[in-house]
Amino acid sequence: MAEALKEAKPKKRATATRAAASIGPMVKEFIAGTLRARAEGKQKIAYTFIVCHHEEILRAMDVLPLWTENFAGICGAKRDAERFLQRAESLGLSRSLCTYALCGIGFDQWREELGQMPPDAPWGGQARPDFMISTGQILCDPRSKWYQACQQFMPDVPIYNIDLPYPMFERDRDHREVWGYYHRYIVQQLRGLVAFLEEQTGKKMDYDRLRELVDLTDRTWNLIDETYKLRAAVPCPMGTGDAMNTMVPLCFMMATQTAYDFFLNLKKELEEKIAKGEGEVEQEKYRLMWGGGLPSWYALTDFNYFNSKGASFPVETTYRMVAPLHEMDLPETNDPIEHIAWRWLGYWTFWYDKARKRPDSEPDVERLINWIEEYKIDGIVMHEAFSCRTWHVGLIWQLRQLAKIYKPIPIYVTGRDGKRERIYRELPSLILESDIIDITSYSEVETRNKIDAFIETLESIRANRVT
Amino acid sequence: MSYFAGIDIGSTMTKVVILEDGILASVIGPTGPEQRRLANQVMEEALRRSRLPFQAITYVVATGYGRINVPFADKQLTEITCHAKAVSSLFPKAKILIDIGGQDVKAIRIDPTGKVVDFVMNDKCAAGSGRFIEVICDSLGLTLDQASEISLRSEHPVALSSICTIWAQQEVASRLAEGAAVADLLAGVHRSLAERISTMVRRLKVEEEIVVTGGGGKNRGLLKALSEQLGYEVHVPEEPLITGALGAALLGREIAKEAERTKTSLSTRERVLEEIEIL
Repeated sequence: MAEALKEAKPKKRATATRAAASIGPMVKEFIAGTLRARAEGKQKIAYTFIVCHHEEILRAMDVLPLWTENFAGICGAKRDAERFLQRAESLGLSRSLCTYALCGIGFDQWREELGQMPPDAPWGGQARPDFMISTGQILCDPRSKWYQACQQFMPDVPIYNIDLPYPMFERDRDHREVWGYYHRYIVQQLRGLVAFLEEQTGKKMDYDRLRELVDLTDRTWNLIDETYKLRAAVPCPMGTGDAMNTMVPLCFMMATQTAYDFFLNLKKELEEKIAKGEGEVEQEKYRLMWGGGLPSWYALTDFNYFNSKGASFPVETTYRMVAPLHEMDLPETNDPIEHIAWRWLGYWTFWYDKARKRPDSEPDVERLINWIEEYKIDGIVMHEAFSCRTWHVGLIWQLRQLAKIYKPIPIYVTGRDGKRERIYRELPSLILESDIIDITSYSEVETRNKIDAFIETLESIRANRVT
Repeated sequence: MSYFAGIDIGSTMTKVVILEDGILASVIGPTGPEQRRLANQVMEEALRRSRLPFQAITYVVATGYGRINVPFADKQLTEITCHAKAVSSLFPKAKILIDIGGQDVKAIRIDPTGKVVDFVMNDKCAAGSGRFIEVICDSLGLTLDQASEISLRSEHPVALSSICTIWAQQEVASRLAEGAAVADLLAGVHRSLAERISTMVRRLKVEEEIVVTGGGGKNRGLLKALSEQLGYEVHVPEEPLITGALGAALLGREIAKEAERTKTSLSTRERVLEEIEIL
């Protein structure tokens, strides 16, 4: 049964950097680490989600985070999610819900039913947690509902929910007018998390250690920002395909020396490649931005397909979960919890000031415009994953808004009267449609046909472009 | 005199156009599992009709899903680029083209020179493609042409709630059992498909002129429903099925002209239609 539902082993994606190639063993090791911890019982394991700015708190308390989105992604990348999705469906859950959550729920239900890991569980499986830390922040609803559903099979495992809001963008109002209120609320939430962890672990928080880890994270943020900005070089030394690997230390290993060292090495590698003029593709013809959407984890070789057409991806909005701290102008504080809260607010409001200055712009659109210019982008590619509602809705809107306010390509057109006219047109864009881990929504032939047509469009726009 | 060939291997039909100043010959045949063999066959037939030896063809461009299965093609281009080229040549004022194929539907925005500005495709579900109508016609025992004409007689199209092809088939059966007129049912089917297609087209902003190509362009009932949905008249080439092949041949001519202008050699394949064993 288990074997019958497994897809053929996916082709391995070719990486441009040594750093990206080293990620597989790294992920495998931290999955193995959680399984060891479960077996030994010395360290508490917490199911949790990325982008919560709570890594320092967990690590300072010696709690081992188990990133459930990551495990679902692994199942997808190994093309072994279908049997867990079907398990969830058999519980009455719709396939149109978040497939990360469905995969995780299906896996947990199976593990709890068996009292051991499901057969041939990917990389040994997802360990049973001691507690679950969900987040009711604005990002998406499964981040609070997922673990509630899991509690049906693990009623003894408590949940702590942290709420991490940020002020919405308002064109006529400086967000700083209200962010003090948000800050007080977030600090309260994070202190609540500390209290919950102290209760669960029986240990007191070591605030000196927390301060050190916050400092390490700040330094890692700045280092990642500097490293990723190197990708603006022509030719681009590392593309989005590789960034879908390097997101691992960025999203899952923050507040560790390993993550810092990883990006130190990556930075060095990129500097070497730039000095040698080495690009992600041999003859770079087009520079594309991955403008949003989680990737299809089972089809990362599509990035290689883009590469085979001379297209490189110097930048992506997905998983770029850091911003330069020195540009945020955050209030000073010696309290590490307060600092985390300010950093959270600084990150989510990073593009607000710039967006206010451009008529009709919005923070997400402003980020696209800035990066189109900074990374010399020829076109935008997005991925509408049907089961990810949060990304899905915003992507279409972002593209529409971008096309409305930003037309950077000068071209000549011949009008009906035969006269040649110089006009400006929007950046071409491509929306790929599939899912994050549900392979039944994916067609390689159709996807690549779309990519071919998009490359032809880029070619014709270049031919028409006013020199 | 120079001749150019375009071959379009679609999901259900294979089309070839041989171009001189205008269309010298065109052939349409059903696509089967052996696309390479079929490509040779239709090309042979087109050459026979145009009374040309294969060596007389200056450049061959292949398009469509099976474009990589054309052993004698000098270049492969997507059907999106090819349809845009042909439509712009046939309808110089066209801004939006809708290619309704057997397997998918594409909406393409083009500029006055026939270049693609933007496109969207429905490729996930048969509900938005010609296959939707084929399935319904099969269940009613009608040909596509018959269904098209009968639907035009409808005065009260039946509203179908299902967009899934299989469920719609069931819904049609149950409406028939309730006594609905076949013409009203078929008009409802066309309306349902037209709604799906126009939803997709609106993502590109609807503007005149709108041209419909592909097999869907031969269905007058569908065109009527589409025109009502979009709020504009829709135009159709004389033979909508060969639009992709025509565009391929036109682009082949452009490539050859550009090579001549820049005095670069034109890279072509050997003009041989080899025998391919049947599986």
